[in-house]
Amino acid sequence: MRTLEALERDYPFIDAAFRGFCSSIGIFSVEDFLLYDRHVLEDRMERAPERFKQGLLELYSVAENYHRPWVNGLDLLKDVEQNKFLISTGCEGIDTLLQGGFRIGQLTELVGPPSSGKTQVCLKTASHVAKEYPSIVIYVDTSNSFSPKRIVEFLTQSSKPAKTEVKRTVEQVLRSIVCHSIFDIFSLLDMLHQLKNQLKSQIHFHVKMLIIDSLSSLIAPILGGGAGNGHTIMITVGYLLKELAYEHNISVVFTNHTVAGEAGTSKPALGEHWKSVPHVRILFSKSHSPKGGCISLLKHTYLATGKVPEFRIP
Amino acid sequence: MEVSSLPISASQRGKLISSGYTSISSLASVSADRLAQDLKISGNEALEILKIASRRLHKGETEASGCLGTRGGRTAWDMLHDEESSLCISTSCSELDGVLGGGIRCKEVTEIGGEPGIGKTQLGIQLAVNVQIPAEYGGIGGKAIYIDTEGSFMVERVSQMAEACAEDLIQYSNMLLKDNGSCQVKKQSRAFLDNIFHFRVCSYTEQIALVNHLEHFISEHKDVKIVIVDSITFQFRDDFDDMARRTRLLSTISLKLMKLAEKFNLAVVLLNQVTTKYCEGSFQFTLALGDSWAHACTNRIILYWNGKERCAYLDKSPHLPSASAAYAVTGRGIRSLRSNCKRVRLM
Repeated sequence: MRTLEALERDYPFIDAAFRGFCSSIGIFSVEDFLLYDRHVLEDRMERAPERFKQGLLELYSVAENYHRPWVNGLDLLKDVEQNKFLISTGCEGIDTLLQGGFRIGQLTELVGPPSSGKTQVCLKTASHVAKEYPSIVIYVDTSNSFSPKRIVEFLTQSSKPAKTEVKRTVEQVLRSIVCHSIFDIFSLLDMLHQLKNQLKSQIHFHVKMLIIDSLSSLIAPILGGGAGNGHTIMITVGYLLKELAYEHNISVVFTNHTVAGEAGTSKPALGEHWKSVPHVRILFSKSHSPKGGCISLLKHTYLATGKVPEFRIP
Repeated sequence: MEVSSLPISASQRGKLISSGYTSISSLASVSADRLAQDLKISGNEALEILKIASRRLHKGETEASGCLGTRGGRTAWDMLHDEESSLCISTSCSELDGVLGGGIRCKEVTEIGGEPGIGKTQLGIQLAVNVQIPAEYGGIGGKAIYIDTEGSFMVERVSQMAEACAEDLIQYSNMLLKDNGSCQVKKQSRAFLDNIFHFRVCSYTEQIALVNHLEHFISEHKDVKIVIVDSITFQFRDDFDDMARRTRLLSTISLKLMKLAEKFNLAVVLLNQVTTKYCEGSFQFTLALGDSWAHACTNRIILYWNGKERCAYLDKSPHLPSASAAYAVTGRGIRSLRSNCKRVRLM
C-alpha cells in the first residue's frame, strides 16, 4: 500500500494541504485510509473545504484498484476445469487417496515422522510431473537431499520404450527440474518474490509444480521466542505460496515434520496457526514392515478424512 | 505489513511501521538521508535497511535470463554430473562403506548416533584420518575439523590409527604397484595429525559461536573436507528449561551446517547420543534431541549392539535403501568384522 505522498503525481487533489489534513486525523497511507471509520471520516469532511472532498473521492477510486474483480460460479467452474486440474503424483497410494493427485492452485502438505518417505514422494512427484508435462518443476531443498540419481532411477523404472529414447527423455526431464538450495526463511521469501515477478512478466516461463522440502526446517528457527515476528513471517510465506498457486496455476507441495503431542502421540509441527494454511494435509506414518507405511488424510477441501491405503516407495 | 518479512531488527521494524513505511515499495523511492531523518537513526543504519529492501525488490526485477529463469537455481541435469563424480570418505570397513554407497558423502550432513561405548568417537577419529588419504589411493586428500564437546578426543589414539592407515597405504602401493620402484609419498602419522584442526568447546554458547565462525575459518582453509562434531548433544542436554528455545537454537545450527556443507562441498558428521522413549508399551532407545532434530540431517546412521557384534543401520538416506552392516573397533581403528587376517582395504 502506498503512502499518500506517492499518489500526488497521479492524483492532483491529494496535495500537501489534503495530506496535512489526513495526517492530523492519523491517515498516512492508503491502508490507514481503508481502516479508518467511514462515517467518522465523512463527518469530518462535512466541515472541510470542497477541495478536500475531491481528494477524498480520488482516494476512494485508488482503493477500488486494490480489490480483486468479482467472479461468478460459472467462471470459477470453467477455471477449475481448464486450469486447476489434478496432477498425478506417480505414487499409486497417494493418487488413490486423493482421487487423482495433487490439485493445481492448492497447497498440499506432507507431514510425518523422520524417514517416513516424504522426501521420496517429493522426488517421485518431481520426476513424474517433469516427465508428463512440458513445464518446469521448481524444487527447493533445505537439507541437501535432492538426488538427481534417484530421479533417474524413478524415470528408468517407469518408462517402457527403447533405451536411446529413454536417454533423451531423461536429459530433457532433468533439464526441466530446477533445484534451489535455500537455508533460511528470508532467502526463501526473496526467491518466491523473484518467482512471482518472473511469472508475471515472462510468457514462456511455465511452472506447474513447486516443491519445498522441507518448509518446517526453515520456519522452526524463527517460531516462538520473544521477538514475536515468527508467526507473521510464517503466515506471510503461507499467503505468498497461496497467491503463487492460485494466480499462476501451480501446485505447491511442501513437507512438515512432527513433534511430540500430548500423551506420547505426535502432531504436525508449526502449530495451530499453520493448520489453516495448506488445503490438503497428508500424514505419513513410519512402518518397519516391508510392505511400507501408511498414509492418511488429515485435511482436505472435499474428501472425507481418515482413509488409510497401504503405501510403498519402489 | 510487508516490512515485517525483512531480516531487520525488531526496533528498526517498529520505527519503520510507526513512521508509515509499512510496505517494501515505499522504501524504494526514499533516500537514505530522508529515512534517517524520519526514523531518527544514523545514516549507516538507514543505508543498511535500504540495501536489504532493494535486495528484495531487485530480486523481483525481471531479466531476460532464458527460459529457465530463476537465479540461484541449478537444473537437475547439471547436478547429476556433480553427484556422479562426488567423492566419498571411506570408513575403513568395507561392509559399512557398501551400505553407505561408498562412504560418507560430501555436501551432506550425516548424523551418527548410538549408545555409549559403541564406537562413535572411534568412527569420528577414523573419518578424520581417512579424509586425508591422498587421491592416488582413492581418497579425497583433505583436512579435517574436529569439534570436541565432550573431551573424548585422545591424541594417542589418533596417532595409533594414523600409523595403521599409513601402513595400509604402503602395503596397498606395494601390492598393486609392484613394478614401481620409486615409492609414493610416504605419509607419516605426524602428517596426519598436522591436518586435523581440533576445537574444544565447553558450553552451548561456545558451540554456537564456533559454528558461526566456521564459515570464515573454512574460507581460509579451503582444503578442509570434513567437519566432525563430537557430540552435538552434550552441551544441550541439561541446563535448558526452555525446550522451545533449544529447538530453535538447534535448527539454526543445523541450517548453518547444511549451508556450509553445500557451499564448500564438504562432509559434516554429527555424533549424537541416545535417550529412552516410551513407545508402544515399552521403553526404547532413540537418538537424543527430539523429533525436530531428526529432520535436520540428510543421512542418519544408528549404531547398535547385535549380541556381541557392533552394527550400523542406515536409517535415513535420500537415495539409498535402509540396510545394516557389522563393524569392529580394533587396535588399528574401525575395521570389518571378518578381518582376522590382515586384509588390505581395496579401493
